[in-house]
Amino acid sequence: MNPDDILTANPLREGIANRLTPETCTLVIFGATGDLTHRKLIPALYNLAAEGALPPSLIIRGFARREKTTEEFRKELETSTRKFSRTPVNDELWNNFASSIFYNQSAFDDPRGYSELAREMRENDVAKGTGGNRLFYLAVAPDQFPIILGHLRSSGLNDALRGGWARIIVEKPFGMDLATARELNGLVGEVFPEKDTFRIDHFLGKETAQNIMVLRFANSIFESLWNSSHISHVQITAAEPLGVEGRAGYYDKSGAMRDMVQNHLLQLLTLMAMEPPTSLGADAIRDEKVKVLRSLRPLRGDDVFRHVVRAQYTEGLINGQPVTSYRGELGVSKDSTTETYVALQLNIDNWRWAGVPFFIRTAKRMPKGGTEIAVTFKGVPRVLFNQSTQTLDENVLVIRIQPDEGVSLRMSAKMPGSSLRIEPVKMDFHYGTSFGKATPEAYERLLLDAMSGDATLFARCDEVEEAWAFVDGIEEAWKTRSDDLAFHAAGSWGPTEATELAARHGVTWRRM
Amino acid sequence: MEKDVSFSPGIAVPIGAIERELGRVWEESGAAKTRASLINLAIYNEKTGSLETNSAIIGAIAGEHAMRAILIESDPDETGSRAEAWISMHCYLRGSKGGSVCSEQISFQLGGEAARSLQSVVFSHLDSDLPLVLWWQADFHPPIDGKLWQWVDRLLFDSRHWKKPSEQFQLITEIATLTETKLVLCDLNWARSLPVRQAVAGMFDNPAALAELQLIRSFHIDHAPGSRSTALLLVGWIANRLGWVLSDASQNPTFTDPKKGAVHVTLSEKEGASITRMLLNSEKASFELTHEPGSGLYVTNARSDSFPSMGRVIRAAREETREILLAELARGGRHPLYSLAVKAVQALW
Repeated sequence: MNPDDILTANPLREGIANRLTPETCTLVIFGATGDLTHRKLIPALYNLAAEGALPPSLIIRGFARREKTTEEFRKELETSTRKFSRTPVNDELWNNFASSIFYNQSAFDDPRGYSELAREMRENDVAKGTGGNRLFYLAVAPDQFPIILGHLRSSGLNDALRGGWARIIVEKPFGMDLATARELNGLVGEVFPEKDTFRIDHFLGKETAQNIMVLRFANSIFESLWNSSHISHVQITAAEPLGVEGRAGYYDKSGAMRDMVQNHLLQLLTLMAMEPPTSLGADAIRDEKVKVLRSLRPLRGDDVFRHVVRAQYTEGLINGQPVTSYRGELGVSKDSTTETYVALQLNIDNWRWAGVPFFIRTAKRMPKGGTEIAVTFKGVPRVLFNQSTQTLDENVLVIRIQPDEGVSLRMSAKMPGSSLRIEPVKMDFHYGTSFGKATPEAYERLLLDAMSGDATLFARCDEVEEAWAFVDGIEEAWKTRSDDLAFHAAGSWGPTEATELAARHGVTWRRM
Repeated sequence: MEKDVSFSPGIAVPIGAIERELGRVWEESGAAKTRASLINLAIYNEKTGSLETNSAIIGAIAGEHAMRAILIESDPDETGSRAEAWISMHCYLRGSKGGSVCSEQISFQLGGEAARSLQSVVFSHLDSDLPLVLWWQADFHPPIDGKLWQWVDRLLFDSRHWKKPSEQFQLITEIATLTETKLVLCDLNWARSLPVRQAVAGMFDNPAALAELQLIRSFHIDHAPGSRSTALLLVGWIANRLGWVLSDASQNPTFTDPKKGAVHVTLSEKEGASITRMLLNSEKASFELTHEPGSGLYVTNARSDSFPSMGRVIRAAREETREILLAELARGGRHPLYSLAVKAVQALW
């Protein structure tokens, strides 16, 4: 064939999909026998396969310590996928999909396991046409990262072959503090360049998280008001009625600050507060997000106790059923001081947000679950309708991330009648009732993006480190004393200390 | 006209009171306090009984696409002028929280002068500020009325039902020219072929398979009786993408690849889905898509001596009108390749 005739892009793809096409590869999941693989990754991959969205010849290799055959592994995955898939499993589709799944049994520190993996992958490249592209997924505890990364390097698996690529997906937590995050980033960075490193935060894969940018930058009515001249304060809440649910070993070491605030909630904050990016490219967006993190006023020493409330749930009722205290949970020490509730008042010291208090709270064992961003606008002048006899409620724009995704706007309206009575009304947009179509799972989008090399919805190393730098200041202060730990009954909306924190700024926590 | 007693398009209302009566129905239903409609969907048909058929389609899609539906059953040849209207709602509970998706429907029966003044009777009842999607289920008639089409954002039609496709394509081109670039043309026949196009395109994502794409020498399609036009659109798509030029417009046409020579195309009828098989052959490789009757799956296979066999099984798209319509409404955007595909096989219609 004449070299001029060689196609580098599939011309049949044009006009069919408005996203990058994922490239053929071998996906290796470390920790393949774990919950994440069974509940999220394989069901997501199955649904992508059923829709024809996966690249051709994709090979999935599970790498884990437990002894089992490929057949046994496939059978286990079939059982869990039938349970957790968002669409029913079709036998023929599953069989075809499962034929691309293989199991590599090996201890993570056994070099022979990696040699064998490398050999099989090379064979697949020839026999199955996987093109030398590799995508490694670390679905393991962070203490295993150095071991796995070291062996990937020593076995040469991190090297892209023949113009292909080798990428890695890292699950949170990305470290336990700034030092460990830097260490981890350094470790990963020695083995994979930053452009090939995909730090997954499944919150960013949610449709409504992605919609924050659309809402802000595709609607002129919001962006023109999106600043300290018009916004009074912002509340970001992530509440859940569940307790630690078998994660006590991890949770008791991390707490709500590390588990939720450092990653999910600060990510939402950056999307909410960032400047318009210069393009929709991954780095353009992440550059703006990281600027927000850098603009966060650091909290250190006594400031922490003025701006942050930590608490733990005690016994209480959830949905009318008694639940134990945090310290009564299996695997939690009786004198644990780990916070299950945290409320923060933050300031973003930049031109746009000067003087606007941001409030973040997250907790377990709340009366109900939900994640939302609530933007409260400044009130109208105290003339005309806003005189002393009647105080008008401020406009509130709420972006609901989960569940019941949508956007609502509270505004004032005149009650019908001869007297002038003004009441708040809520305009409410529900994704489910406008776009009835079921939305794909976050992992589906994120896995496809990683195969396509699109890092927009993944955290960059400097984002992670800036978030840790902020959180570390709080954690350090907490180490100096423990008498600030408050308590609240499970099923309540948090301790009085949090109410007081908000009240100091003339704010009341939203009732979700 | 004889009325079908088993079907009611809703509450009969005077045309001048449609908005007021709709407001009253919303208020009384209490089903949804907020109307988050996405579009106005107007469906125009000239066959008696179409209101019933189209009400069923709206009922089937309203749960997934909140809208104001405007159904028009028109008889422009009737003498005098007749205009009747009905209103109804389609509400569906969604999820455990009990939120409901509600769409409102206005149905018109128009005859004579009223039918010929479509825009004045019907399009004064659009939900303001929402795009108008017009599904034209009748043949297009000359002369084209520019005023009517200026209102429309997306024009849906289905070329599969056309008896004189070349004439209809000509009129479509006139409409598109009149509206400059504003109007988006959406042939449901093109939308019907999308899942097949996706599956076929997927076979060439692998670089080794892609290398064979320009070397395709023959191309065969099995299509259902009545789906030749769908098959022709697929031929037009491949021809356009690969730069083939039609050189023999016979039943089984031949194209010329400017660099590689002749490409032979054969089309056969076979019972089943619109497209049951596509086979593309180069000298060294074959690429096949099959959709066995009743399987609900596409099976694709790429075979060659020069690369490993690649087979995939993909969930096939359902071909009911509601599914195609929903997919098209959800997809949005323009269809830049459609007119190019039509043009590539123009002489074959």
